[in-house]
Amino acid sequence: MERCHERESIFPRALSAQGNLETLARSATMNANGEAAKAVPELLSPQNARLLLDSTEAFLFDCDGVIWKGDKLIDGVSETLDLLRSKGKKLVFVTNNSSKSRRQYAEKFNSLGIAVSEDEIFSSSFAAAMFLKVNDFPQEKKVYVIGGEGILEELQLAGFTGLGGPEDGKKTVELKSNCFFEHDKSVGAVVVGIDPYINYYKLQYGTLCIRENPGCLFIATNLDAVGHMTDLQEWPGAGCMVGAISSSTEKKPMVVGKPSTFMMDFLLQKYHINTSKMCMVGDRLDTDILFGQNAGCKTLLVLSGVTTQAILQDPSNKIQPDYYTSKLSDFLRIL
Amino acid sequence: MLSCSSHSSRATLSAFSHFLPTTSPYFNFSSLSPKTFSPTPLNFGWRAATAPKPRMASTFPARASAQPLQNADELIDSVETFIFDCDGVIWKGDSLIDGVPETLDMLRSRGKRLVFVTNNSTKSRKQYGKKFETLGLSVSEEEIFASSFAAAAYLKSINFPKDKKVYVIGEDGILKELELAGFEYLGGPEDGGKKIELKPGFLMEHDENVGAVVVGFDRYFNYYKIQYGTLCIRENPGCLFIATNRDAVTHLTDAQEWADGLKMSRQEFEFLGKSAMLGGGSMVGALAGSTQREPLVVGKPSTFMMDYLANKFGILKSQICMVGDRLDTDILFGQNGGCKTLLVLSGVTSLSMLQSPNNSIQPDFYTSKISDFLSLKAATV
Repeated sequence: MERCHERESIFPRALSAQGNLETLARSATMNANGEAAKAVPELLSPQNARLLLDSTEAFLFDCDGVIWKGDKLIDGVSETLDLLRSKGKKLVFVTNNSSKSRRQYAEKFNSLGIAVSEDEIFSSSFAAAMFLKVNDFPQEKKVYVIGGEGILEELQLAGFTGLGGPEDGKKTVELKSNCFFEHDKSVGAVVVGIDPYINYYKLQYGTLCIRENPGCLFIATNLDAVGHMTDLQEWPGAGCMVGAISSSTEKKPMVVGKPSTFMMDFLLQKYHINTSKMCMVGDRLDTDILFGQNAGCKTLLVLSGVTTQAILQDPSNKIQPDYYTSKLSDFLRIL
Repeated sequence: MLSCSSHSSRATLSAFSHFLPTTSPYFNFSSLSPKTFSPTPLNFGWRAATAPKPRMASTFPARASAQPLQNADELIDSVETFIFDCDGVIWKGDSLIDGVPETLDMLRSRGKRLVFVTNNSTKSRKQYGKKFETLGLSVSEEEIFASSFAAAAYLKSINFPKDKKVYVIGEDGILKELELAGFEYLGGPEDGGKKIELKPGFLMEHDENVGAVVVGFDRYFNYYKIQYGTLCIRENPGCLFIATNRDAVTHLTDAQEWADGLKMSRQEFEFLGKSAMLGGGSMVGALAGSTQREPLVVGKPSTFMMDYLANKFGILKSQICMVGDRLDTDILFGQNGGCKTLLVLSGVTSLSMLQSPNNSIQPDFYTSKISDFLSLKAATV
C-alpha cells in the first residue's frame, strides 16, 4: 500500500488502493456520480427514502447528535438501526469524539441496548493511533496526550507509550522566575482531542514538546468547536484545545478525524464496498457531511444535533447534503 | 533555535481556514467609540496567530535594515515620549538591568515623558508600581500600562454600559482594573476551583447580563471557564470577546544567566526547552476555537494602547519612540502605531535573530541595552 503523507496539508489523505483517491480530487460540490451537486438538499420523503435505501449498502453514522446526546439515546434510534440491519444494510459508526476508545464505545452502545461490535466503530481516538502506525512512528518515542482515556487506550493497543491524559488534569504549575518546567525529551508526538480536564499544566507540557523536541508531531483528533457532551447543551470540543496549542506553538496540526478521509481507508479495509454505495448520516455540515462528500458517499443531514434548518439554509452555508431530515427515526415513519 | 522550526510544517491556510470563519457575524463595530481608537482588523487574531510572521508589517513598504544606535542624543531630541516594554528592557525576571535607573533619570531630566507598557495582565498597574518601587525605580502608577489596564480602558472608551457585567478568564490584575474603572465582573481565579460533571440533565447556567468576556493569561484555566465564556459570547446578544494579548509564549529573560550558571551556551539552554512559558495566546486560542470568533486584542501589537496614550497626552505618534526586546510584539506595536522603534538586545532577541533572513521586522534602531543612551554620545566635531 503506498504511503501518502502530504506534509503541506493538515488532512492526511486516505491511503486506499481501491480507486477512491480520485473521489478525493473531486470538489465538494460533486456527488458520487460525478454530477454537479443538487443545489438544494432534498427533505427525506417516502419516495427518495426508498431510493436511498435501495442504492445504499452501508450506512455510516456519526454518534453525537445522531444516535445519542451525551448519555441519552435519541428517540427511535434503536428501532431504526434494527430496521436497517433487517434489510441487510451494514452499519458503521464514525465519531470524532476521542474521549472513548472503540471498545469503550461498544460498551456505551451495549449499555443503551444497541448491539454493536468494536470493529464497526471508527473513533478519532483510533484514527490517531492508526495515523502513528501507518507512518511508522518509532515505538521508543512517546506520545503526550491532551485528551481522554480513549486515546491512551488506542495508543496502547497499537503498541505505543502514552503520557498525560486525564491524570495530568490534577497537576498544577509553579510560576516563579527561577522555576523550570520539565518535559520528556523522548516525546515524539502530541495528540490533542476533546479534554474536559484541560488545564495550564497540559497546555504548557504539550507546547514545550512541540516547540522544543525536534520533529515532534502535532496531531489533532478533530477540530469540532463544540459538541453535545450532555443532552441539554453544547460544550467546547477539540477545536478549543487544538486552538490553544496552535496559538502557543504557532503551528497547525495534522487532523485525523472528519472531514479528513483518513479513517475511510480503515473502513474500506473491512467493508469492500464502493463509497458511492455508502450513505453518511450526520448532524454537522463541516465534519460529517464534508467527510461523506470528500469520500464520494451520499450524505444525509439530521437536525437532531448541532445544525438547525436555519443554519442549513443560510446563504453563507456552502455545504449541501444530498438529503436532510429531522432525526434518524424518520426512516421508521417514512418507510 | 527559538522559533525557526515553525516554518517547515506550516499547512496551507486554505485547508484549515475553511472551518474557521474569517469574519464574525456577531461583532458589531458600531458599538465602538469612533474617537480614540483604531480597531484591530478582525482577521488579526486567530489566523494571524498561525500565519507566518510578520503580521501587519507587510502593509508597510519594505524597511531598510535596522541601524545600530550611534547618535543617542539625536534620537532623544527627536521625540517627546519614550514607551518602554518592561521584561527584557527594564528588568529581567526579578532583577533590574544595569544602568536603568540612571538612564531613566537622564531622560526625565531632559523633559522626556516615560511610559511603561507590558502585555502581562496578571498584575494591575498599582501592583506593577510596587514592583518598580521594589527595584528602586521611581515610576508612578499613571505611567504604567499593563494589558489588564488596557482591557478596562477599552471598555471605558466604548462606554460599556455599567449595568452589564464582564466575565473574566484571567488573573487578579484584570479584576482590579475592572473594579477601578467601575465595572462589575464575574469569574477570575475563583472559577479555577469550579468543576463540572457531564451528566444527563446537567445544564450550565450563565448570567445573561454579561456583555463582555475578557481573556488573558490564566494559570487556573479550566473547562468550566471555557464553557462559561463560550456561552456568554455565543448566546448573549452583542457580547464582546476581548483578549488582553495573544502572545504565544513568554521567554525567561534570565535565560542567559541560567545558561551561564549551568555552563552551557544560550542556544543549548533554550534547546533544553526550559525557557518558554505560555503566554495569553493559549487561553485566547482556546476561546477562539470554541466560539469560532476572533477577539478584539487590546495588548501589543494592537495599537489600542498607543492610540490611547497619544490621545491622553495630546501628542503625535511621530513624537514617540517605542523601546522593546521583542520584534513581534514591541517593535510591530511601534511600527503599527507609526512611531520610532528601538530594539534592545538585553531581552529575548539576539542580534542573529534580528539579522536572520527569516525575520522581516526591522526596527529603526537597535542597541544592546537602554543604558547605552548614557554611553553613546554624538561624535564631537
